[in-house]
Amino acid sequence: MAQLQARFFTENHMYVVDDVPFSIPAASEIADLSNIINKLLQAKHENHKYVEFDFLVKGQFLRMSLVKYMEAENISTEEVVEIEYVEKYTAPQPEECMFHDDWISSIEATEEWILTGSYDQTSRIWSLEGKSIMTIAGHTEVVKDVAWVKKDSLSCLLLSASLDQTILLWEWNVERNKVKALHCCRGHAGSVDSIAVDCTRTKFCSGSWDKMLKIWSAVPTDEEDEIEEAANRPRKKQKIEQLGLTRTPIATLSGHTEAISSVLWPDAEEICSASWDHTIKIWDVETGGLQSTLTGNKVFNSISYSPLCRRLASGSTDRHIRLWDPRTKDGSLVLLSLTSHTGWVTSVKWSPTHEQQLISGSLDNVVKIWDTRSCKAPLYDLAAHEDKVLCVEWTEAGLLLSGGADNKLYSYRYSATASDVGA
Amino acid sequence: MERAGGSRRLSIPSTQVLEEQAQESDDLTDSEESIYSGLEDSGSDSSTEEEEAEDQDNGDEGTLKGSSLSKKAQAGVASQKKEQGQCQSLEAESMPSAQQDLPRRDEYEEDTSDEEDVRNTVGNIPMEWYQDYPHVGYDLDGKRIYKPIRTKDELDKFLDKMENPDYWRTVQDKLTGVDVRLTDEQVELVQRLQKGQFGDVHLNPYEPAVDFFSSQVMIHPVTNRPADKRSFIPSLREKEKVSKLVHAIKMGWIKPRKPKEDTPSYYDLWAQEDPNSILGRHKMHVPAPKLRLPGHEESYNPPPEYLLSEEEKLAWEQQEAVERKLNFLPQQYRCLRAVPAYARFIHERFERCLDLYLCPRQRKMRVNVDPEDLIPKLPKPRDLQPFPTTQALVYCGHTGLVRCLSISPSGQWLVSGSDDGTVRFWEVSSARCMKTLPVEGVVKSIAWNPNPAVCLVAVAVEQSVLLVNPGLGDKLLYGATDQLIEAYKPPEEERLQPVTWAVAAGAEHSRGVRLIIRHGKPVKQVTWHPRGDYLASVLADDSHTQVLIHQASKRWSQSPFRRSKGQVQCVLFHPLRPFFFVATQRYVRLYNLLKQELAKKLLTNCKWVSSMAIHPAGDNLICGSYDSKLAWFDLDLSTKPYRVLRHHKKALRSVAFHKHYPLFASGSDDGSVIVCHGMVYNDLLQNPLIVPVKVLKGHAPTRDLGVLDVLFHPTQPWLFSSGADTTIRLFA
Repeated sequence: MAQLQARFFTENHMYVVDDVPFSIPAASEIADLSNIINKLLQAKHENHKYVEFDFLVKGQFLRMSLVKYMEAENISTEEVVEIEYVEKYTAPQPEECMFHDDWISSIEATEEWILTGSYDQTSRIWSLEGKSIMTIAGHTEVVKDVAWVKKDSLSCLLLSASLDQTILLWEWNVERNKVKALHCCRGHAGSVDSIAVDCTRTKFCSGSWDKMLKIWSAVPTDEEDEIEEAANRPRKKQKIEQLGLTRTPIATLSGHTEAISSVLWPDAEEICSASWDHTIKIWDVETGGLQSTLTGNKVFNSISYSPLCRRLASGSTDRHIRLWDPRTKDGSLVLLSLTSHTGWVTSVKWSPTHEQQLISGSLDNVVKIWDTRSCKAPLYDLAAHEDKVLCVEWTEAGLLLSGGADNKLYSYRYSATASDVGA
Repeated sequence: MERAGGSRRLSIPSTQVLEEQAQESDDLTDSEESIYSGLEDSGSDSSTEEEEAEDQDNGDEGTLKGSSLSKKAQAGVASQKKEQGQCQSLEAESMPSAQQDLPRRDEYEEDTSDEEDVRNTVGNIPMEWYQDYPHVGYDLDGKRIYKPIRTKDELDKFLDKMENPDYWRTVQDKLTGVDVRLTDEQVELVQRLQKGQFGDVHLNPYEPAVDFFSSQVMIHPVTNRPADKRSFIPSLREKEKVSKLVHAIKMGWIKPRKPKEDTPSYYDLWAQEDPNSILGRHKMHVPAPKLRLPGHEESYNPPPEYLLSEEEKLAWEQQEAVERKLNFLPQQYRCLRAVPAYARFIHERFERCLDLYLCPRQRKMRVNVDPEDLIPKLPKPRDLQPFPTTQALVYCGHTGLVRCLSISPSGQWLVSGSDDGTVRFWEVSSARCMKTLPVEGVVKSIAWNPNPAVCLVAVAVEQSVLLVNPGLGDKLLYGATDQLIEAYKPPEEERLQPVTWAVAAGAEHSRGVRLIIRHGKPVKQVTWHPRGDYLASVLADDSHTQVLIHQASKRWSQSPFRRSKGQVQCVLFHPLRPFFFVATQRYVRLYNLLKQELAKKLLTNCKWVSSMAIHPAGDNLICGSYDSKLAWFDLDLSTKPYRVLRHHKKALRSVAFHKHYPLFASGSDDGSVIVCHGMVYNDLLQNPLIVPVKVLKGHAPTRDLGVLDVLFHPTQPWLFSSGADTTIRLFA
């Protein structure tokens, strides 16, 4: 059997082996390599326990036999191969399943609570243990997106955007478990599909089907903004129905030619918006001008930004997740596409703690955990949903959440990041 | 022949003479009785002599007969006696031919030519000269010959004519002026001459001629004339002529004739012909295939390995003649002398001849064309992106087959009508059913108002068209739509309308139905004008009112056609111009709504048109038909289809154009949707480019129905299809 010269290295100090080339069988797979490393470690440390490793060759995960991979990637087998190894990410552990009355359109989680928006026109607050704490009803239409604004121990501010063209700013008194609509943000002429809160937690932006991007204040006040209404509009009925004080947008950014499907507020000055017109636009908040445009060739469903790797991930109406560099000037370069889904990717979310991992939900009912070092195959498939997955979330505490058209919200504990924190 | 002609020539004057005599006899004085009756008897001897002489003439030379006749005629004219004799001779001629055999006598023995019967001596003069005289001449004695006294008046003549049976054969002798009754023989002679026959009955005009002056030189000369002297002496003139020619030849004035080319001049008719042409193959000779030369097997003493073993022989015998590898058994003989004659030799020769004769040999014209080259160069579908390729979403919820689809102008909402009696509104992006509107009956057709400022859906249910405000999208918009409908003021005088407009109330109103247009007949189709105020409905009816145009804002309906042109399948408004398409079973008619006239009639060549769609630029129309054809019309080009696509296996139910992308699609009963790239160029000279790019399958055929409706998203290259399997599918 052919042999290969390989040198192993790792960045985790616990598992360092001698930096010498080893001769290993060319056809060896991950399990064989893992055995080799474990044997080496056992030889070094008496009390070593068996650990499964994952291996990277030239920054890409090894998912087949070594020689095959090297043939596919055109790596010379004459020289010594540098193989990096990391502790294998353990599979996410399913934790809770939270039942809703209708499709779940959006999730946003904090350390303690999970906020979900549902097609039954309500938003719900859940504890991490899967206990329903609060149901917030107020919208007259489907709730499309939800967001936490401020999380205090006493009272929290939260937002819900709906198909009824309004965004409601709620105050949730945690102790008394009471919720109160503070403001009703009016101004959109279409369903509000996405909202994003800025870093200072004083403003938020919303993207709507009416192609507009609006920036609102998230600070509760006692004053009501005046809306210049069309004279013939029957206001009476609505006045009665309306919750909270009317609020009007601070600014309106227009430039998209189609509906806006997803907005992000990654840092203080910038807003990203993804639209059905196949573009991602990055806006300057201060000037209200357009900074740059990334052009794709499909409708964007969802985008996510990772401050760790400074990449944008986009899910669009095809099978691919694409990674973009928002800083680039020529705006149509895809850095990487992750392909394994078989349906539209409805939702993507970067890991808040790991710079190379993200989660995606798709219309093929599967949630996938990706590592950008392995773009052909995901790390794990979470195939619990029985219908379309509409939203995913990744909390800093390592909780993966996904909700879909089967009215269920699944949560998984994923501890992969723990070992990498030290790295 | 000549003789016959001569005799005829002679015979005619003789008859004339007789007639003249007859005429003259009228004029002359009447003396019926011949005064020379005695003379007749007296001249009988001489006449017999003459007769004999005549006979001799006949016997000797036929050729001289004519001349003798003429002589006789002259003689007849000359004298009465002679005439008398002639009569006798005529009598004699009529006698049996036994006289011909009489012994030959000297013909001059009784030559009476100089003793002619000259009773009148005036000679050969015109007898008119004696018209005024009582006499007609003088006899031999010099005495006057008096004319017979003619005392008969006209009455007597007439009586004579009536009573005298011989009147018709009585002629007047000019010379003597007496009336002569012609004998039977004479009459017969006259008749013969009148008929153009010979006077002599026994004359054979076709006797074999003896050619005396033949071309052949006989031993006896015809004439005994000695040869001329000049035939012996060279001619002086000839000599001069020859010397002149010799001189001319010497001087080179006359050149000898060019020798004639011996090679025969042929014309090669096929010289110009292309040997590769169809006719050229006749010239292509294919030699007969040669027989294989005999090998070792045929040898009289083949090597042992060529000899068959017993088993092989048995196998050979059991094989069919055509299957045998060898058509004979190799055999070994001691010596060549022992080889018998080959029994099948004649047979095989004959078969070979038959083969060569009956099997035409020809070179196969092999066309060296790569079949790939024959396919027109079409761009690859990959280069024609984007177009829908994969199924993305399935809209489930209906319980009956989904007949019709329509989409909001913004592309956010989809509406579908089904056989389960519901209209459902869907969110496009998530396949969420947002609303369900129950209606009484099957939804045949549905159309979302194309005007983005109005939120109204027309639904054809049974016998009515519902105008539904779905309450989706911009609140301001659907509120304004409601206001618009409520703001209607009825006109002062009631107008007669083919339909009744009703305002929905109660539960129906709360469900979203705003107006109900009640037709008397089931409604097949509704479609909006692109501006969104007018809508057209098609009724399942054969009358002229099967197409109605409604104006929603004024609640006013009219029937645009006065006569029915057949069962209308579907109608369509032109997207830009005031045109209206009406598809009947076989034709699509294009009406100009402003001029109110038929602008064009398109011949679909289909058996039964099912659906049509118009390109957003308005110059191209596609027609789907139940005989699984899709016809593309270029309205500027022709009234016949520019292209007919037969990709579907079953009837087409629906066709659609995309508003922005150069795409069109057709849905069929075979459950598939075919997406084609249909690029229309602004350049009028460039024909549309039509490339089928994708077959989309997803709908399961149910009860022989597959895809019932196809629809493109207004902004994205997405395709919706509704099927008999109760689902709606989105392909992206």
